[in-house]
Amino acid sequence: MSQTDTETYRDLQSAATSHRGDRVFNRTITAAAFTALVVLAGITVFLGLQTIPVLQTQGLSFLTTSIWAPPDYGIWGMLYGSVLLSVIALCIAVPASLLLSVFMVFLAPKGVSKVLTNLVDLMAAIPSVIIGLWAFYIFDPVSQEWQQLLNQYLGWIPIFQNESGNFSGTPFTAGFVLAIMMIPIVTSVTREVLGRTPPELINAAEALGCSLWTMLRYVALPYGRGGLVGGVMLGLGRALGETIAVFFVLKIVFDPVNYYNIIESGGGSVATLIVSKFGEASGPYEVQLLLAAGFFLFMMTLVVNVIANLIVNRTGRLQK
Amino acid sequence: MSATTSTTTTFDDSRLEELAQQRPQAPWGRRTGSFRTIVFLAVLIPAAIITVMWFYTEIPKPILMIAVYLPLQLIASMIAAIAVRGTKSAADAIIIVLAIGATIFSLVVLVSLLWSIITKGLQALSTAFLFQNNEYISPSTPLGYGGVGHAVLGTVLIVSISALIAVPLGVMTAVYVTEVRGRAVPYVRFFVQAMSGVPSVVAGLFILTVLILSGVLNQSAFAAGLAYAILMLPTVARTAEEVLKLVPEDLRTGALALGSTRARTVLRVVIPAAKTGIITAAILGVARVVGETAPLLLTALKNDRTVLNPFSDPISALPTYIFDNVAQPYPDAVTRAWGAALVLMIIVAVLFVLTRTLSARGPRK
Repeated sequence: MSQTDTETYRDLQSAATSHRGDRVFNRTITAAAFTALVVLAGITVFLGLQTIPVLQTQGLSFLTTSIWAPPDYGIWGMLYGSVLLSVIALCIAVPASLLLSVFMVFLAPKGVSKVLTNLVDLMAAIPSVIIGLWAFYIFDPVSQEWQQLLNQYLGWIPIFQNESGNFSGTPFTAGFVLAIMMIPIVTSVTREVLGRTPPELINAAEALGCSLWTMLRYVALPYGRGGLVGGVMLGLGRALGETIAVFFVLKIVFDPVNYYNIIESGGGSVATLIVSKFGEASGPYEVQLLLAAGFFLFMMTLVVNVIANLIVNRTGRLQK
Repeated sequence: MSATTSTTTTFDDSRLEELAQQRPQAPWGRRTGSFRTIVFLAVLIPAAIITVMWFYTEIPKPILMIAVYLPLQLIASMIAAIAVRGTKSAADAIIIVLAIGATIFSLVVLVSLLWSIITKGLQALSTAFLFQNNEYISPSTPLGYGGVGHAVLGTVLIVSISALIAVPLGVMTAVYVTEVRGRAVPYVRFFVQAMSGVPSVVAGLFILTVLILSGVLNQSAFAAGLAYAILMLPTVARTAEEVLKLVPEDLRTGALALGSTRARTVLRVVIPAAKTGIITAAILGVARVVGETAPLLLTALKNDRTVLNPFSDPISALPTYIFDNVAQPYPDAVTRAWGAALVLMIIVAVLFVLTRTLSARGPRK
């Protein structure tokens, strides 16, 4: 609906809302519509309030050091770990999702592509605790075998070094599990974006003798660029906040921070830290620390999500 | 132009639209017999080589697949592509092989997930498992005693509470965007989108600080329902907005022209017209939250007894039941976790099929 339509509609409506019941109705609906804002503001304010005393006692070292030993606490390793896991997940999930959606949009027959769409959506609907259960018992042994082989043949690359010989609870496994959770989310966006490429552009490209690759490279990908980036960032936001699936396959280690040895046991994730430490929190102060950690997690995901949505919305408008 | 149309009067105009939608027939792209043979060979030869190596060499299987089969298949497809269509299509061959590979990978993961849930879950399933609670049961108690009855009730209770809160608010948000169309529409949509990105653990922490640590509520089904409602609201609002947009504008103007007030138009005409869609939105919202675990760990804790009072006691739900049993050193406890996962997965699958059938029946664009 264009802008002028809305304006006219609004004028008509204000003429029609002289009725008292309508005014009440409008106010109720408007108030309810701001629930989302109230909740977001509430999270920011209430978690923010809990963060202030933590920052007063721990200082900035709460964010820059990595330690969880009373009386010193710092979540740098967890913040870094969350990002590291998400990067590993992105490296696996983005190519997989793009290829999967290319298959569904451009290669597969209509029937196959319809079935695949449903299967991918079903995969997105599997609860994270079930993914965690599967990862713990089925995927982790397989992943350990892969990591041993990676270490054996590619161990000279720094990221594939492993001195301890312990391949359980590694960022690689956790990142891979996150990737499995991201693939359906990212695919559902990228499939739609690629599917929106105007057929006349595709036909024109084919008429000019483009091969599938050239068509993708010069027509479909540039056309859907914004949507693709936005979809990936939505997946990233989900990966940063994922708690339970990571909980079962990642060993939380504060010190030393595991910066790049992705197949070495031990890593970090803010969301998982909160759940794993909450049960054993020894008093109100430790709970407050977890609330503060939650505040920074919220801020991180909020920024990623807002940017993602701005990108998706902008391209949505351009394409219409 | 007019000359053309006059000469083609026999042409059936109604098919023009349809033809415009069709991809060209591309007679030059027709698959000949030799094309089929070459593609068949390009698939068969690498597969044959790898089958032989699989059984007669000591190379570890993952290495075999990644470092031998994949390059072989890529090279074979490139040779086939070059033989059929010339050098330009070599890149196409790579894309096609990788795309099929990614699809097979995703399917393998999905099948592995579903297969393990079903086979391992069935070992735990029995009437006792479905209906009994976990009282007097320790992780080492043999199967056949105790079950997820209390957790199923807990899930139903928590999800109902959150649906009672989130569905009306979500639908009202959607009504604001599509019916009231106030000045704040872009902002409301923006906030709903931002809210859909709130991590589930943060939703739990929010309820924990505001209501539980402050002493207003116990850790209970109601607190957990509120945390779930935060996660459910954006899904309901966005889906409901989509379906309300599909309601024809004529219905609204028609109702207004008959002298109906705005409120009456929305409540008696627009919402009933979109009834199926709104039910779909509610089910999608339920499906979004039903497996969430992190908020429950913070706001509902766990309870081995059956709890029906939503305000009094901590309460278990299916996700927390699974969570508690996953890493137990007792095989029977782990089997219980798989059993509960199967029950949860059946609930999710039923919701999934419901949304599909409902949205297939609902109005189309």
